[in-house]
Amino acid sequence: MTGGHRRILVVEDDPETAGQLAEQLVSSGYQVDLAASGNEALSKGAACDYAVITIDRMLPDIDGITVMRQLRDDGVAAPFLILSALGEVDDRVRGLRAGGDDYLVKPFSFVELLARLEALGRRSDTIAKETILRVGDLAIDLITRTASRGSKDIVLLPKEFQLLEYLARNAGRVVSRAMLLQHVWDLHFDPSTNIIDVYVGRVRRKVDDQQAYPLIHTVRGIGYCLRAPG
Amino acid sequence: MLLAKTLTSSTFKLALIAIGTFGVIVSGIFAYVYLSTTSYVRSRSDRAILAESLNLHDAYERNGRDGLIDAIRRRMTYRSFADHVYLFVDPSLKQLAGNLTEWPSEPTPASGWTEFRGRTAVSTTASPPLVRGMVEIFPGGDRLLVGRDISDLDLFTGRIKFAVISSVILIFLLAGMASILVTRRTVGRIEQINATSRAIMQSGLDQRIPLRGSHDEWDRVAENLNLMLDRIETLMGEIKQVSDNVAHDLRTPLTRMRGRLETAYHGKRVGEADQLLIGDTIADLDAVLRIFSSLTRIAQIEAQARKDAFRTVNVVEIAGEVVELYDAAAEQDGTRLTMVGDREVQVTGDRDLIFDAIANLVDNAIKHGRNAGHVVVSIETTGSGAMISVADDGPGIPACECEHVFKRFYRLEQSRYTPGNGLGLSLVAAVARLHGARIEMRDNAPGLKVELWFSPAAG
Repeated sequence: MTGGHRRILVVEDDPETAGQLAEQLVSSGYQVDLAASGNEALSKGAACDYAVITIDRMLPDIDGITVMRQLRDDGVAAPFLILSALGEVDDRVRGLRAGGDDYLVKPFSFVELLARLEALGRRSDTIAKETILRVGDLAIDLITRTASRGSKDIVLLPKEFQLLEYLARNAGRVVSRAMLLQHVWDLHFDPSTNIIDVYVGRVRRKVDDQQAYPLIHTVRGIGYCLRAPG
Repeated sequence: MLLAKTLTSSTFKLALIAIGTFGVIVSGIFAYVYLSTTSYVRSRSDRAILAESLNLHDAYERNGRDGLIDAIRRRMTYRSFADHVYLFVDPSLKQLAGNLTEWPSEPTPASGWTEFRGRTAVSTTASPPLVRGMVEIFPGGDRLLVGRDISDLDLFTGRIKFAVISSVILIFLLAGMASILVTRRTVGRIEQINATSRAIMQSGLDQRIPLRGSHDEWDRVAENLNLMLDRIETLMGEIKQVSDNVAHDLRTPLTRMRGRLETAYHGKRVGEADQLLIGDTIADLDAVLRIFSSLTRIAQIEAQARKDAFRTVNVVEIAGEVVELYDAAAEQDGTRLTMVGDREVQVTGDRDLIFDAIANLVDNAIKHGRNAGHVVVSIETTGSGAMISVADDGPGIPACECEHVFKRFYRLEQSRYTPGNGLGLSLVAAVARLHGARIEMRDNAPGLKVELWFSPAAG
């Protein structure tokens, strides 16, 4: 993501939440515009090319989903991240079907929001056409569905491969547990145990054991990050 | 009180309508029977009189006045003519022959039918008998009256009339009484149900509608209402239990957080300690939020709001993903997690929810099973549908706890200190209910085996 394309539109009607979001996003290096109503979102969203637009489902004047549809019809290509207190899967599915690109249930942790914004922002500016993903000495062949580090092949189960692929596609960025569940297992809920940690632990042993340096790093309180040293 | 309710009840009104309709029909039938009987009897008697009158007319034609007198006198000697009445008079109404003492004063039509009370020579009763007769006036002015004593006939039709009217009245009376009795019984049972309902509203759910042991429809209604009350009472108990548990499970972390923040608020700012405190507080808050979202998730599943997301899914595939996801966790625990059974088993349902249910069962089996034990997920199609079972070889659960484990926040004493919030099996139960699946808990000897029985996928 280029420095010039880190502008985010936050559509949020609660001033305190909007303020917190803006403050934290700015301190993470984003430029932030705020819109407190659906109409304001429509005019601001169409006026500027945003990296991501975060939008509340329930706005005082127009429903968030209607705003998204309207902006899409106006030719706005920026990905939408829906932030909503309506937490159930049905609402998520409805929101995603209506043109939302990702969905986060309130209350959420800011690191989780940041991880998702990063993933969405990247999706909007690069379309990966590679057949081999490389991170450090790790090579992931998307055609043969095999992975290796240096000359050593890594034997992975299908889901383990998908997990590693997802981490590699987001190399250098934090990926939350919920994002892994969503993208690797297509699960839209939290199984409320440390199951993901144990699973990633096993993948990590296969990838990082007896290697010169570790690739999979735990990010405390949020998830994981695949990155090469240096 | 009860009588007033009986008379105003809808059953009684219906009975009255029925009695009214039935009564009108019965009265009509009886009136027809009465009228046709009397007219038949009367016409028979009239024909006999007419025939006799014609015979005597012939005698007059053939043999003149004396011939007629002779014929009348001859007839009066026969016993079989005892109820016949004859009177032959000259123009001055002087009797020439016959058994009637005098020409009837009124009505005295010139000719044709007449009815009167008159004394005859043969009559024995005190009051003059009723006579019906035919009058003929001959060209010379002589008059002939031929008739019959119809007192018996009159008595007969009178009796029929009495019988008909009294039976109609009797029918109305009996039907009225019967409907009051029946209505009273109905109203009595309904009042019993009403009284119980009022008692429940006033004092509590422990009241039940008394049964009469008659096994009739009223007993069945009462039985079903009582079952409903049992269910409501159980649910109320569960809600109380749940709110107690919610209060406990939410209060504990909330109290911790409050205490921590309060201490920090009054104490000095210490960078590292503050950060630790904030981290712990966020972790506690997350636990609270997780309980909260589990509860709303269960509530939403129970509200059956998601059936529109049902598709035909292959549970073997879903279970395979669960097993793969939990394989690492089982390995860490030293537990062997295996899957057996058919390659493809179709059911109609929601993939996410079925995943969640199997995941919860597998999670429980790994957590509560024996260390270094063996957890088996088995899926098969049987004649009566698809069966998913998860079995461990751990300590199992006591038989008496089987029905409690599906309650929200319920935790066995032995697992009080293992992680979890006691909502997993409630969720499994809610998912099963939504899918119309049956849950069975079996003793795996040793261990626990939980079976989910789905009805076969439609189409």
